[in-house]
Amino acid sequence: MILYFFIFVPIIVGTVVYLIPGKMTKILAFLLQGLMLALAIYNFINVVSNGDIVQVIGSNLSITGITLVCDKISAALLILTTFIFFICFLFGLLDKFVNNLFIFLFIILQALIIGIFLTRDLFNIYVLVEVSTIIVSVLIMFKKDSVSLYDGMVYFISNIAAMTLFLFGVAILYKTFGVLDIDVIKVKMQFVEDTRSLILPFGLMMTGIGLKCAFLPLFSWLPKAHATASAPSIVSVILSALYVKGGIYLFIRIADMYKPAINIDWVFLTIGIMTSLFGIVLAFSQKDIKLILAYHTVSQLGLILTGLSMGTVSSYYGGLLHIFNHAMFKSVLFLCAGIIIDHYKTRDVYEIRNVFKNMPLVSIAMIMAILGITGAPFFNGSVSKYLIQGGAKNISLNAIIIIINLGTVISFIKVATIFKGKEKTMNVSVKWYKKTAVLIIGSMCLLMGLGGPVLVRTLFDYQLQMSFLVYIEKLMVYVFSLAGGYLLYSRLIRKLKFVKQGLSIDLGVNEISIAMLAFFVFLSFTTYLSLI
Amino acid sequence: MKGGIPIKFINAQNVAIIIFFIGFYGLCARRNVIKTIISLGIMSGGVILYFVSVNRQENSIPPMVGDIPGVYADPLPQALVITAIVVGISVTAVALIMFISMYHTYGTTNWLKIRKMLNERKQK
Repeated sequence: MILYFFIFVPIIVGTVVYLIPGKMTKILAFLLQGLMLALAIYNFINVVSNGDIVQVIGSNLSITGITLVCDKISAALLILTTFIFFICFLFGLLDKFVNNLFIFLFIILQALIIGIFLTRDLFNIYVLVEVSTIIVSVLIMFKKDSVSLYDGMVYFISNIAAMTLFLFGVAILYKTFGVLDIDVIKVKMQFVEDTRSLILPFGLMMTGIGLKCAFLPLFSWLPKAHATASAPSIVSVILSALYVKGGIYLFIRIADMYKPAINIDWVFLTIGIMTSLFGIVLAFSQKDIKLILAYHTVSQLGLILTGLSMGTVSSYYGGLLHIFNHAMFKSVLFLCAGIIIDHYKTRDVYEIRNVFKNMPLVSIAMIMAILGITGAPFFNGSVSKYLIQGGAKNISLNAIIIIINLGTVISFIKVATIFKGKEKTMNVSVKWYKKTAVLIIGSMCLLMGLGGPVLVRTLFDYQLQMSFLVYIEKLMVYVFSLAGGYLLYSRLIRKLKFVKQGLSIDLGVNEISIAMLAFFVFLSFTTYLSLI
Repeated sequence: MKGGIPIKFINAQNVAIIIFFIGFYGLCARRNVIKTIISLGIMSGGVILYFVSVNRQENSIPPMVGDIPGVYADPLPQALVITAIVVGISVTAVALIMFISMYHTYGTTNWLKIRKMLNERKQK
C-alpha cells in the first residue's frame, strides 16, 4: 500500500477537477471521495494485520530522507478524514456556492490534512500546516462578506505567526541534533547532556502548536474561524472536526518526542482543565447556535488535553479516542445547525423553536449527537469519558471531570430548547441527501458507543471492561447530571446577567500575539523550573 | 576591549534571534495591517538567517559527487531555506491580497477601527 497515494492523488485530481468545466467535476470529486474512503479502510486493515508501514522519500535512511509512517492511530485518522470529507461532499456538493474553485480547495485541504497525519518530518509538517492555513483562510472568506473577511484575516495572521514560531523551534532543534525526523530525534533526545538547551525550542514549538490546538490564552481565533457568520457549514465541520485534530495530533507527536528530556505533563494538565472550564462558561453564555458549538470545541479540546496529560494509560487512550468521538458528534451538530439556520434564517437559539416537528429526521440525528457529546450511556462520548475518568488518580481530578461534563450538559440543554415550542409548524423540506448524510454520521455516534470496547481493543490493544453494572452506574450518573444540569440551567444560569447579554471575548491580532508571547514565556519558565 | 558587546556575541545566530523578536514586537504592538504583514516577513527573515547560519563551518566546500578532499557544507539547511523563502513569499502575497479586499470593504488600515466598525454593525 503506497502512502503517497493518499497525498498526491487528491492534489492531482483536485487540479484536474478545477480545469474541466461542467457537471463532470462534481461526479469526479464524489467518486474520488468514495475511492479514498475505500482505500483508507483497506489501509487500516492492512496496518492492523501486518504492522506499521514506513516509507522514506529521497533516501534509503530515515535520517536523511523524508519519512511517512502509518501506524494504527494514523490509519484510523485517515479513515476519519476520508469519512468526514465523504459526508461533507454528500451533504454540500449540490449547493449553489460549491463551484470548481471550492472543490479544488476542499480536495487539496484533504490531502494536506492526511499529510499532517502521516509525515514524521518536522519541516514537512511546517510546510503542510502553512499551506493548509492559507487554504483554510480562503475557505473562511469564501463568501466574501465583511465579517468573514476580518475573521479570515485574523485567523490567517495569527496562525502564520504561530507556525513561524514553530519553524524557529525546528531550526534550533536542527542545530542541536542535525536531523529533522521525529523518531530519530526522540532516540537522540536522551543523550542530550545539557537539557536546558532544549527549553527554547520546546517553548517555541509548543507555543506554535498550542495556538493550533486552541489552548487557554490562545483560543480566541477559533470561534471566529469556526463560526463566522457566512462560512458554509461544511467548512465549519472540516475545521472543527478535523483540522484542529491535526493540531492535537502534532501536540501528541511533539510532546512524545520531547518526553525523554522534558516532561511537564502537570502544566498541560492544568492548561487542559482551565481550557475546558473556560470553554464551557463561554459556550453556555452565547446566543448564536454556531458560536455555542465553536466554544464547545474549545472545551472538548481541553478535555482531550486533560486526558492526554493525566499520566495514566487509561486516560491517555481516552483522550485519543475522544479525538474520534468528538469529530463524529461535532460534525453532526454543525451540519444540523447549518440546515436549521438555512430554514429559520436566524442563528439565535432563543428564536429557533419547534424544530422537532418541522424536521424530525434532522432532529433525531442531532439528538443522537447531543447524547454522544454529553456522555449518555451506549453513545460514543461515554466510552472516552469513562476511560478518561478511569485514569483520574484522585478525587479532585474526578470531580473536575464531572464538573466539565455537567457544563457540557448545561450548554446542550440550552441548545436542546430549540426542539420544542408552540409555534405553528412550517412546511420544511430538507433535501434527501442532506438527511442521509446527517443520519449516517449520527448513527455512527451510536455505533461507536456500542462497539466502544472493540474499537479500543483494535486501536490501542487495551482491554476495556464494560460490565452490565458499569452501564447501570453510568446511566444513574447521567440521569443525575441531566437533572442537575437542567435545574442549574433553568433556576440559576439562565438568569445570570452575562448569559442574558451574551459574553464574548474578542481579541484582535495584537492581543493574540501578546497572549502568544505570554504563553511562550510561561511555558519556557515552567520548563526551566522543572529542569533545575 | 573596553565596554560594549564582545565581538564573539555578534554572530548570525544571535542577530537572527534579535530580528525574530523585533518582528514579534511588531505583531504585538503595531496596529497597522500592513505593518503586521511586514512584521511577519521580518520574523520569517530571522528564521531564515538562523537556518542558513546553523552548522556553518569555515572553509567548507559545496557537497558534490566525486572525491574532492575537504570539509563539506551541510546541504540540508540550504534546501530548507529555499522552501522557507518560497513559503514566506506566498504567505506575504496572500496576506496582501486579503488586505486589499479588506481595505475595499472597510476603508482603513487600522485593526482597531475595523473592530470598532464590526461591533457597531453587530449592535445594529
